[in-house]
Amino acid sequence: MTGTIARRLASIVPVMCIVAICVFLLLHFAPGDPAAIMAGDNATPQNIAAIREKLGLDQPVWRQFVVWVGNLLRGDLGTSLFWGDSVTSLIAQRAEPTLSLALTTIALAVVVAITLGVVAAARVGSLIDRVVMGFAVMGFSVPVFVVGYLLIFVFAINLKWLPVQGYTPISEGVGPWLQHLVLPSFALGMAYVALIARITRATMLDVLAEDYMRTAKAKGVAAAPMLLKHALKNAAVPIVTVVGNGVALLIGGVVITETVFNIPGVGRLVVDAIARRDYPIIQGVIMVFSGVYVLVNLLVDLSYTLFDPRIRG
Amino acid sequence: MKATRRTVMGGSLATVGLATAPGILHAQARPSAARTIRAVLAGDLATYDPIWTTADITAYHGAMVYDTLLGTDANNVPQPQMVKGWAISDDKLTYTFELRDGLRFHDKTPVTSADVVPSIRRWMVRSGQGQLLALRLADLSAVDDKTFRVRLKERFPLVLDMFATTCTPDLFIMRKREAETDPMQKIDQVVGSGPFIFNQNETKAGTQYVYDRNPDYVPRGEPPSGIAGGKVVKVDRVVFVNMPDAQTAVAALQSGEIDFYEIPPTDFLDQLQDDPAVTVENLYDLGSMGYIGINWLYPPFNNLKCRQALLHILNQEDMLRPTFGSPKWYRTCGSYFTCGSPMENDANTGWFKSGPNIALAKQLLAEGGYDGKPIVMLQATNIAYMANAATVMAEQLRGAGIKVDLQPMDWANVVARRANQSPPDQGGWNIFFTSASGLANSTPYMMAHLATIGTKGWFGWPTDEKNEQLRAQWMSAETLEQRKAIAAQIQENAWNIVPLLHFGQWIQPVAHRKNVTGWLHEPGLLVFWNVEKT
Repeated sequence: MTGTIARRLASIVPVMCIVAICVFLLLHFAPGDPAAIMAGDNATPQNIAAIREKLGLDQPVWRQFVVWVGNLLRGDLGTSLFWGDSVTSLIAQRAEPTLSLALTTIALAVVVAITLGVVAAARVGSLIDRVVMGFAVMGFSVPVFVVGYLLIFVFAINLKWLPVQGYTPISEGVGPWLQHLVLPSFALGMAYVALIARITRATMLDVLAEDYMRTAKAKGVAAAPMLLKHALKNAAVPIVTVVGNGVALLIGGVVITETVFNIPGVGRLVVDAIARRDYPIIQGVIMVFSGVYVLVNLLVDLSYTLFDPRIRG
Repeated sequence: MKATRRTVMGGSLATVGLATAPGILHAQARPSAARTIRAVLAGDLATYDPIWTTADITAYHGAMVYDTLLGTDANNVPQPQMVKGWAISDDKLTYTFELRDGLRFHDKTPVTSADVVPSIRRWMVRSGQGQLLALRLADLSAVDDKTFRVRLKERFPLVLDMFATTCTPDLFIMRKREAETDPMQKIDQVVGSGPFIFNQNETKAGTQYVYDRNPDYVPRGEPPSGIAGGKVVKVDRVVFVNMPDAQTAVAALQSGEIDFYEIPPTDFLDQLQDDPAVTVENLYDLGSMGYIGINWLYPPFNNLKCRQALLHILNQEDMLRPTFGSPKWYRTCGSYFTCGSPMENDANTGWFKSGPNIALAKQLLAEGGYDGKPIVMLQATNIAYMANAATVMAEQLRGAGIKVDLQPMDWANVVARRANQSPPDQGGWNIFFTSASGLANSTPYMMAHLATIGTKGWFGWPTDEKNEQLRAQWMSAETLEQRKAIAAQIQENAWNIVPLLHFGQWIQPVAHRKNVTGWLHEPGLLVFWNVEKT
């Protein structure tokens, strides 16, 4: 087990190296000039050239890359070109809202989607099954921002039940914190629920068709324990895999959701940074997101041992 | 340790606890919502140094934190602000200013001439207006703690106007420590003597910028007018909220989560005007002028006839309507200077009055030797008025037989691209779109884009000695009548040589909650003193 974890951790290194190279090259070969944006619309070419020189943006790309990688190896993600703050501190400031949104969305999605998937599988072919699958198709098809605006219109503007936008830290009370997360979590969770519900239903149908399930039924095991204890546990590995892979979907969705609901998270940080070509922030956030994605998938792999004793050996 | 579901759950909860702990530690008391104004402005405050950048939002930040020596009143006339008054020598070459009593920086140190002199010097390096002043400056020195003196090499009647300017960068007075920062570097501390104190602890870069009322600020006794008069703060806190999504900002304003929205899109104006809790108001009386940059360095627009052809192709109405909808928010304008400003005139505007003349345009293009090569037009697709203007103008040009290579990109890419002096087919360009504030475009000296000094000038790089001579004459003129007469000559020449084009003028009204009143109308600056929440 320890050897497996060590090997998996070691495999992260080349992945992150490739990500670092791709991120840097893509950004620096993409058009745009932070110095020109920084200088303002009334600036002359001389002003812009002076700023570019001060920021080191006039240096050859390879030299900028060497400096960035050197800093990265020391754990320094760099400094924002605009604010002068360290990228690490900016990400740390924004981590709580993003973490809150991601965790509430995952919790909501897992509970709702697994329930829907199990119910749909148990009642396969019924109206409930069709409704659940119809919802899954819709959840996958409608973009996050459309769902977000609809939720704002109905629940924030018309019914006035929930706030339109913003984020309240959990330190100011769980109530206000949750109030600000309900709509974004629903908006962000739609596609995630759809994905997990479909996989849950399909996997549950496979498991329910197994001989041992028929045996359990013949022995008189009640429906609920049979579904939850016997079927769901054996269907867990593919579901957990999808939950892990879906983190990529979640990361992409976080960026849009935070913009629509004005949540000051890491997603907003990177969107704003892209608009003004604040390279260190974009590079830093992508490195962090990539690291999170790789680690989540490592945890998913390790979690298989919780559900399937055969993998522990 | 064996991994079980219980240990995994326990670890997850501990992680959440650790992540939220800093928020708990830093939680602190804030002024009530009734004494706080939450304002969404046109963009994010990307830098705190209002001398270093010309970005409007940084000038708004500057007006909160710093004070100015003079301020323009509602009639755009310079009035004393930090200074008690000034004396001008008989030969009009020496200006002596005296600072008023009660001026203190937020660190409690007094404002002295030793702070003012380096502040002016740094501004003169960064500001286009300041550079014009520097050319004429013989000496700038502190006489004593409260008095400083400006000596000129030649008469320059714009000294007071420039000290009072609201055309970015404004002349904000900083502590000597920050004022002596290399003008090419940004300042590292935000300590001013203005009516608000920048609250760095509550500010979250990219999210919200917090300003608390300065309890030690001594406002002037005169009533507020423009940015002149008493800066009386009537709330405890102002928060600039960065909210990039327009639809969310409109919804937040309607639900009362924010108090002010600087740039509600015109699509939403009717909806906001129908809301009894919201007021739509025009704070920037001169609005904005649509600006079309023309590259003078390469064919076809390095040719006079081809540039003149553009005047006869352009239809401003068609370029404005898709973005601004109702004519109450826009108008066409043939003047080289902002319509509605004192310099507006109708010299050499026959092309505008008669409307597009495609036959004449084709003739001029033929005389100019246009060879049918596509022109490169930069289109910023993330800014509606630029995107729409480009789409419409591309069609207008095609209608006159010009091939157009319309290149969509985001604004960040346009600002990088427009600085490229390479040929259009090697990364350069022929036409790009932006806008200028109506105030900045109302005189020939405030904005760099009205200079015609070739490749050292603004993007497009027009060269014209006559325009430069006329601008110099305008700046030396002492009366409004003289300035108007020279402005007409500048315009006469400009619409002959076509250094640039305008695609009309528009108003961007603001929207605010009805219970937030007292907004001051100042063409170049948004200010939050005198504003109260009832």
